[in-house]
Amino acid sequence: MLEAKNSLGVIFFPAFDWAIEPTHPEREERLLYTQDQLREEGLFDIEGITEYKPEVATRRDVERVHFCLPSVETVATKSHMISAGGAIRAARLVMEKEADRAFALVRPPGHHAMKIVEGNRGFCNINIEAVMIEWIRENFGQKRVAIIDTDCHHGDGTQDVYWHDRNTLFISLHQDGRTIYPGSGFPDELGGPNALGKTLNVPLPPRTADEGFLYVMDELVLPVLEDFKPDIIINSAGQDNHFTDPITNMNFSAQGYAALNERLKPDIAVLEGGYAIQGALPYVNLGICLAMAGVDYSKVYEPDYHPEKVRQDVRSMDTIKRICEDVRNRYFNPPSTPTDGDVNGQWFTRMKDVFYDTDGIRESQVESVVICPDCSGAVKTEVWSTSNPLSLCVEIPMDACDKCASLGRRAIEEGHTKGNYRIVQAINRKDKEYTQFGF
Amino acid sequence: MYLGIDVGGTHTDAVVVDRRKVRAFSKVVTDHDNLLVSVRAAMEDVLSQVKKDRVERIALSTTLSTNAIVEHKTEEAGVLVSAGPGIDPENYHIGRGYAVIDGSLDHRGFEVKELNRKELQNAAQMFRELGMRVHAAVGKFSVRNPAHEIAMKSAVEADSDHVTMGHRISGMLNFPRRIATAYYNAAVWRLYNKFADAIAQSVDEYGLEASIHVLKADGGTMPLARSRQFPVESILSGPAASVMGIVALCEIHEDALIMDIGGTTTDIAVFAGGAPVLEPRGIEVGSYPTLVRALKTRSIGIGGDSVIKITRTGQVRVGPEREGPSMAQGGEAPTLIDAMNFLKLADFRDRHASARGIERLARLWDMYPDKLARQAVDFAVRSIVDECRDMVDMLNERPVYTIYELLQGRQIEPKKAYVMGGPAAAFQPILKEALDMRVELPPDFQVANAIGAALTRTTAELELFADTEKELLHVPALSIEHPIPRGYSQDAAEDDLRKLMAAYLDELGLPGTREYKDEVEIVESNAFNMVDLFGGAFRNIRVKAQLRPGILD
Repeated sequence: MLEAKNSLGVIFFPAFDWAIEPTHPEREERLLYTQDQLREEGLFDIEGITEYKPEVATRRDVERVHFCLPSVETVATKSHMISAGGAIRAARLVMEKEADRAFALVRPPGHHAMKIVEGNRGFCNINIEAVMIEWIRENFGQKRVAIIDTDCHHGDGTQDVYWHDRNTLFISLHQDGRTIYPGSGFPDELGGPNALGKTLNVPLPPRTADEGFLYVMDELVLPVLEDFKPDIIINSAGQDNHFTDPITNMNFSAQGYAALNERLKPDIAVLEGGYAIQGALPYVNLGICLAMAGVDYSKVYEPDYHPEKVRQDVRSMDTIKRICEDVRNRYFNPPSTPTDGDVNGQWFTRMKDVFYDTDGIRESQVESVVICPDCSGAVKTEVWSTSNPLSLCVEIPMDACDKCASLGRRAIEEGHTKGNYRIVQAINRKDKEYTQFGF
Repeated sequence: MYLGIDVGGTHTDAVVVDRRKVRAFSKVVTDHDNLLVSVRAAMEDVLSQVKKDRVERIALSTTLSTNAIVEHKTEEAGVLVSAGPGIDPENYHIGRGYAVIDGSLDHRGFEVKELNRKELQNAAQMFRELGMRVHAAVGKFSVRNPAHEIAMKSAVEADSDHVTMGHRISGMLNFPRRIATAYYNAAVWRLYNKFADAIAQSVDEYGLEASIHVLKADGGTMPLARSRQFPVESILSGPAASVMGIVALCEIHEDALIMDIGGTTTDIAVFAGGAPVLEPRGIEVGSYPTLVRALKTRSIGIGGDSVIKITRTGQVRVGPEREGPSMAQGGEAPTLIDAMNFLKLADFRDRHASARGIERLARLWDMYPDKLARQAVDFAVRSIVDECRDMVDMLNERPVYTIYELLQGRQIEPKKAYVMGGPAAAFQPILKEALDMRVELPPDFQVANAIGAALTRTTAELELFADTEKELLHVPALSIEHPIPRGYSQDAAEDDLRKLMAAYLDELGLPGTREYKDEVEIVESNAFNMVDLFGGAFRNIRVKAQLRPGILD
């Protein structure tokens, strides 16, 4: 009988009764063939690999992370709460040492959901990884967390959630934003003034294959992790880099995904995108499960896999090497101030426009963070959109110093007294207070 | 009248039941080297007590296949496997003749790669040289398209007395289990068929005009004819017989625990809403997981004859070892039943011998004998109760795949327990207190297993897959493949499967269309949209029907 070297918990929740629309790529069928493959392979008969059902995330779990406008209930359906709950279950297994590693094979995904949420962007409503990470921190203390996002699309939501957090390293590997949604994720996006270099972006040329991805792992990701010394490594495991994916242009294979995982050794992986539901997901998910469990995956390949057909060209490799070198330098020698905003006294301010492609909402934000050498800094954001009038969102981070905590509290008070906000919402991680005023 | 025979590890029991009343009963010692002798002796004994021409049905549970597997007395079977990409099929290597043939199907049953004819011929040659006369042919995803298994079968058919094809065993997905199940089925085929011949002959000799059925582990029976093709389904049917016996003796409508406390082990089963809970994937045999459908039962090494041990730190433990009989029965070491005798909880054979044993052990460890006995009983009860709770928790933790099920998911909360087996009467009051629920001791509990065998009805399970893009419908277990129209619906699939099930039961010689038609239930039914790159939308439909375990009137 096969035996896992690392015990692995798999939370498999295909949400067979939820879809954005019947023919949308993110639909019921998405994990159907993965389920078939995992069952047919007898994955859960391997000693040490166990299947678990998800928990249901609570409103409080979401409120810890997101400013949901106008409320958690309006932006997150039951399916989103279960998907996030699946990620929490994965974290619980690992944190409570029931499993060495865990993989949340759940849908819908979450990595395009930003700090402020008014609707669905890129098939995501709430950021299931962030909900999971903050659940960990709530229950197990402030941990140093590294998130490696291997989805083909830039993890702009996760980037936004952790933009100012100096205790979270976020590295996104993705197809160059000039050629694909959401159009962001370039090396100069490095994080806010207190967390410069804790956000890293690796835009890869279209048709990057196994060789390129594994080069980035070896030459960039692993050395940076070595330096950052995270307590927990999370793989935001989007699988749309696959050579058969219908909505992307990359050449990654099941073997490549498994090898990447073997090198990265994530404690927790959470499924993100991946829409080649017949030709890729069953094999990629199987490969990742086996790699995480430390079981031989050498015979896992796609039926139409011909390495020579998906080999990347030499020029791509040159580009990839150049990008890696650039991003590496930016991590080890980050600039002293960001270039995407202005300093106003002790606050650093930038403007943002966000488009919710699925729901068609246009949103504008003025975001200010306290420039602080001691903590991640209090953040206040004024936000207005085609869906909700001007509102104020204030966050006091978990590691807030006294000064930032009091500046944050003052911002909340001022929001009430100045009065022209429809909603004033606060996430006070330091005192565990989550409040919302307005309607 | 129904005749039931249960071939157990120690005894072979037979009963004749008429309108749920036991008319005759017999118990003989099981002769493991010749099960037929025990079966015939028990049968003869009960038949002499009744009007045998009124016996219309005979059902027996037998350990024949199980023992052959456990004792490695099976015939060598040649195994042909077609796998394709995935976990390396060499991991499931079983037996001396195991050949992996290049070729593969995908999860929808499309052929990705043709079977390699040359390799197939070489394998057939190898089996010939090894002198193998029974074979198994198993393909990955064969339940979605049996073409490769059929091709593999025809490659060895000429040299074979029997070929088991994986897709005929179960419609469930699980390639490694399918390999093990098909292998065992082929390996016990000849032995089992000889036994079946002898049983049929005996029934003839007694002049009985009864149909013959064989018990399965899922709490149902199958007609003898089917068991000849699928003997592996007769394995581990013992616990199912006792569980079905309880069903026959008691009216269970709610969530409940069943505990069968024997000499060596305690078997636990769980009922949800009056129906026994089935193992979702299949039973394990000789350390190989299989696709043989079974009731969910757990066995712990605690029974009346479990020996009492004291750890270095002075903790009193019971089981899981057994070192001969209890001292009350002339054994050497004090057992759980001796402790119960000592505490006057039981009155079994020689109570003085029990007391001597407990007192001697207590002296050895400088303990009070009543305290030692009490701790031994407490330990046993606690172990049983913990195991029950753990089993219920596990069942409630079972994965589900839809939002509806997760949020509406019914939790199993047993409020009542049924206890049977030798020491059951002594355990009843203690368990009542420990479990804090009603604990019932069914009448005739000592022969519940044979009653279960007598009254257990046929069970069957069929799975249907329809793919409107391929315009095909499959029922793997029956080797049925039908064309369907593009607009084929989930409702139509459910209707078709009900009809197929009734016809299948008719074919087995059971009143399928006449009596069982309304009892066929759809247990799973799903339809998924499949959208191709050109915007075409098709349906992938999966329906599963069963005739669930039940009792004859």
